[in-house]
Amino acid sequence: MIIDSHTHVDRFGWYDPPETIIRLMDEAEVDKSIIMTYVDAPDVKGSIEFIAEAVQKHPSRLIGYARMNPRRGEEAQQLFRRAMEELGFKGLKLHPAGNRCHPARQETIDLISLATNYNAPVLFHCGDEEFTLPLQIAEAAHACPDATIILGHSGGYFHTKDAIRVAERYPNIVLETSGMPYPQVIREAVERVGASRVLYASDGPGCDPKIEVHKVKMAGLTTSDLEAVFYRNIKKILDRVTTGRGKQ
Amino acid sequence: MIVDARVYLGSSLFGYGQALPEILAKMERLGIDKSVLVPVKPRDYHLAPMNELVANSLRKHPDHFLGLCRVDPWQGEAALTEARRGFEEHGACGLYLDPWEENFQANDQILHPLLEEAERRKKPVVINAGHLRVSHPTQIRDMASRYPAVQFVACNGGQINISGMLLFEARRMLEACPNVAIETAGTYREDFIEEVVAEIGEERVLFASGSPIYDQEFEMARIRFAHLTDTQKQKLWAANALRLFEHRP
Repeated sequence: MIIDSHTHVDRFGWYDPPETIIRLMDEAEVDKSIIMTYVDAPDVKGSIEFIAEAVQKHPSRLIGYARMNPRRGEEAQQLFRRAMEELGFKGLKLHPAGNRCHPARQETIDLISLATNYNAPVLFHCGDEEFTLPLQIAEAAHACPDATIILGHSGGYFHTKDAIRVAERYPNIVLETSGMPYPQVIREAVERVGASRVLYASDGPGCDPKIEVHKVKMAGLTTSDLEAVFYRNIKKILDRVTTGRGKQ
Repeated sequence: MIVDARVYLGSSLFGYGQALPEILAKMERLGIDKSVLVPVKPRDYHLAPMNELVANSLRKHPDHFLGLCRVDPWQGEAALTEARRGFEEHGACGLYLDPWEENFQANDQILHPLLEEAERRKKPVVINAGHLRVSHPTQIRDMASRYPAVQFVACNGGQINISGMLLFEARRMLEACPNVAIETAGTYREDFIEEVVAEIGEERVLFASGSPIYDQEFEMARIRFAHLTDTQKQKLWAANALRLFEHRP
């Protein structure tokens, strides 16, 4: 079984309808994918509903995360509550390079705290751009020790060492494999942080899930560790989420 | 046939490296017929002996390797002399410029004498691209526009930005400059490679691994699994690289 912890469905920025990721999932033999938009709610009206509709259309294949702009304060919090309680969402996505809201700003911390009330994971874009660096996101992990903070891309091209370093430092940080081009970094992450805190993801459909699966398989992990990375870890995280819709 | 358009040789100042036997063994294991060797920047900072190492490798294994001559444009006249030595004595098939490791901007005028030399000799110029501040696609576009008769090859798809914020710029660089091709090492998003092939031109993309900075086997998967026709893949695997590096008059 494979669950992809980071993919995109959107019609507001780049155009990627749900059928695109479903086709690539089929090619890669991925069972389920967590989807999110490329744009922030509530900045882009209808983006939360678009994800909800995609999940409703493919309930056995897709799981929704709400991508939010923390700068929108109470409005963002209200919409996130609705996403979790009424629309069946399972997590929060933050992309501080887009909304210029530092991971340690109070508005971000407030939104992470709200997600944590639902035991919902928080997936950060974590790459090489300002406000998305592992050491910057680690400040949020430090401020919110009960939150599950996922470093999407594990530091990108140039910050993978920092990503592993902060994951060693904070037990609530989880590393995610998408996009970054180094199979050996996955192996190093498993060796230093433990397979239980590494998630397979593709960042599809832009990054091909089949290639991203191949990358994880190239890391030379044991069968048990591979299963943990491919689905057991994210399933455990999602099983803890409490929403109006019950367990996934 | 498979040609890897960028494989580093030597032990780098920056901690990566590989020796010739290791390169040959990996080529054998992965089915790579030919590699374009690029000298690393060594711990003593001297590129000339590394260019000689590449030249010796070409002499020993002419069927397996092509080689680029690497120069540091900050060396001025000495860089130009080294480039000429590369073309005349070492059989270099092009120039390699690394704005990231040699710390210059890809559109800096210090490059002009080297580009004029490449133009005179009809040799391609490979630039380590996609590094913010020094080899942003807009900077490569700016320089390539000044030298339309020089064939440029932008490494890393012209962009290595995991937020996707350079995809648009890299595409605009290719649209504006027919004299720029990209190679695929480390490229963010396989759909970018597929789009460039379909919409810009299948002659404009070369397979490269950038090994050992990037994993050679994994980089091959980007082409192997790409949603491209067999004919298109053959061009990416080998034909485009051979056309640019081997068969230029």
